[in-house]
Amino acid sequence: MAFSTFEVPVGPQHPALKEPENFTFTVDGEHVVGVKLRIGYNHRGIEKAAESRTYIQNLYLMERICGICSVAHTTTYAQNVEYALGKEIPRRAEYYRVIIYELNRIHSHLLWLGVAGHEIGFDTLFMYVWRDRERVMDILEMLTGNRVTYAINTIGGVRRDITPEMADKVRKSMDLVEQRVTYYKKAAAAEPTLLTRVKGVGILRTEDARRLCAVGPTTRASGVKFDVRAEDPYAAYDEVPFNLVSYDLCDVLSRILVRVDETLESARIVKYCLDHMPSGPVRVKLPRTVPPGESVSRTEAPRGEVIHYLRANGTDKPERYKVRSPTLGNLPSVCEMLTSKGDYVVRIADIPIALASIDPCFSCTDRAAHFVDPSRGKEWSWTFEQIRKYARKD
Amino acid sequence: MSVFLDILSILLFPGFAFVIVLALIYEWIDRKFYAKLQNRMGPTYTGPAGVLQPFADLIKLLAKEDITPMAADRPFFSITPVVALALMLTGVLIIPIGGASGLLSFHGDVIVAVALMTLLAIVLFLSGLFSVNRFSIIGAERAVLQLLGYEIPLMLAVLGVALGAGSLTLAEIAGSTKAWYLFGPQVIGFAIYIVAAQAELERVPFDIPEAEQEIVAGWQTEYSGRKLALFRLTRDVELVYISGLAAALFLGGAGPVLEGIHPWMQTLLSTLLFVVKTVIILLILSTIRALFARLRIDQMVDFSWKYLVPISLLQMVLVRLVI
Repeated sequence: MAFSTFEVPVGPQHPALKEPENFTFTVDGEHVVGVKLRIGYNHRGIEKAAESRTYIQNLYLMERICGICSVAHTTTYAQNVEYALGKEIPRRAEYYRVIIYELNRIHSHLLWLGVAGHEIGFDTLFMYVWRDRERVMDILEMLTGNRVTYAINTIGGVRRDITPEMADKVRKSMDLVEQRVTYYKKAAAAEPTLLTRVKGVGILRTEDARRLCAVGPTTRASGVKFDVRAEDPYAAYDEVPFNLVSYDLCDVLSRILVRVDETLESARIVKYCLDHMPSGPVRVKLPRTVPPGESVSRTEAPRGEVIHYLRANGTDKPERYKVRSPTLGNLPSVCEMLTSKGDYVVRIADIPIALASIDPCFSCTDRAAHFVDPSRGKEWSWTFEQIRKYARKD
Repeated sequence: MSVFLDILSILLFPGFAFVIVLALIYEWIDRKFYAKLQNRMGPTYTGPAGVLQPFADLIKLLAKEDITPMAADRPFFSITPVVALALMLTGVLIIPIGGASGLLSFHGDVIVAVALMTLLAIVLFLSGLFSVNRFSIIGAERAVLQLLGYEIPLMLAVLGVALGAGSLTLAEIAGSTKAWYLFGPQVIGFAIYIVAAQAELERVPFDIPEAEQEIVAGWQTEYSGRKLALFRLTRDVELVYISGLAAALFLGGAGPVLEGIHPWMQTLLSTLLFVVKTVIILLILSTIRALFARLRIDQMVDFSWKYLVPISLLQMVLVRLVI
């Protein structure tokens, strides 16, 4: 057997992965017969760092958990602190949070669509989609001052207000986004090589999606109608009407369709919010210390459900902060997608697109502050200073 | 004196120097056109509109560190890039560039022309195999599987043309081709040739042996520095070779040959016609590259045996009936 199969490492450095993570595939010719996953290459000690910073400073730390869904983490964090304080924020701020959140979703989904095209060697799609994505980035820059890390959320609301001129520009851009995305949807359905590469690839059956607790577009593409925006409305989602997009093809094509439809839906949500935004302040002053207690906040990031947990001890710094990002929730599912079983055969060529189909963000995932060395059966935890020292060693 | 002139024509025009310069310019045309189709700019900085970019890339790569992996089979690992380039430079001598026939013209040179392409694919397979790298080996396997897919249709398409012209000499085929052939009996053959050429050149949708996202760089993963530069140059020369062969087979080569004009004028005219015809083919190849996603190797082999082979057999019958 040693001659017929061999192991192919994908990662920590590999062109298909833009972030360090290791998948070891056992292959027999072109067929994948086994997959092993190893995470932990990109550990940054963010949770530990959060414990030594004040609540306001942590806003900027949370923004940097993920480069793409940055606003998802700050919204979840700010909400979490507001829950812990037991305070409400102005309605206008909640609408504004929804607008930024959905713009972020559009930019994230367009980015993903381009990357998906690139992973199957369709670079033309990649170039076109990324050029359209620039429009959304420009809008975000106009609204918040930044293209990627928006720094718009703050504890007690948002930091800037939107003017009617800005709102008009956003509306125009949303029309353009809708028009372009509709075109891509039509073009993709008419492109045979694209369809052959994504149909029946990366299968995640409905029961597996439930069993493995997949989140976000991955689970919705497997026919599970789960979306935090609908299940547990936060910010202004209780007043915003939107369709919960779900397909039950269970493959990569299904995930593409879900994301494309969600992009259209997001553009509609943004326009609705602009039209129905109540007037008033966008921010209230909240105390800097949080009374002792615990709170949990969750939101639907572009990649899926983000869960933040906070334990406060009455000071201006959290005692413990825990972040569960959507990629971690989807990793068991991606291993399932890459496992051949019965008639379903995974080929080497399917690896990049199947991996990309969960829209992985590995730097969000590696965050543990507790260390385990399974070979020696040792467990320990470190302070942020110790982690920093370890990182600077050698 | 005539021997000296022969050597000069092999080395300079229309031999190696001319072809290499043309190859690098074709790479620029390909990159620029591909970029335009993708809503991008392509090369811009080096030379006017970036035309010197491929030259700069080649020179830079020649000067870079050349690493041979410890596990690799050193002699074979080092020799394959040279052999690959030599094969393609030999090939262009057969192609009619500056006149009615190539520098080498003999009975059966069409068969040699096709055989050179197959030989090149085998050399690439060996280069991957001797690299002893997991990605290289998968890439090499794929290169051979792909060869099994496109080789037969390519040969049948070429054979169809030879059958129509009743000759196995490129110069005679080019001379006897009539303009209406391309729009009549040869249209299917031309299409099949273009598809197979795309596979031979390992370009989208058939860049399977070097699929970046899957197997890093396929058979050329371990190559760096001078050796990689030679492989890249081979690809560019191959671009000229394949489009030149298509021009000779389907578009009348560097013809038409005019009576009663000065030989120098004829050479100039032929070269110009050759460039125009090959650039048209190059643009078709670049357009295909921008239109599709990469196929999987099993889909590619399926596609060629289910569709390409039967259609090319049909084409042979059609040619026999019409011409």
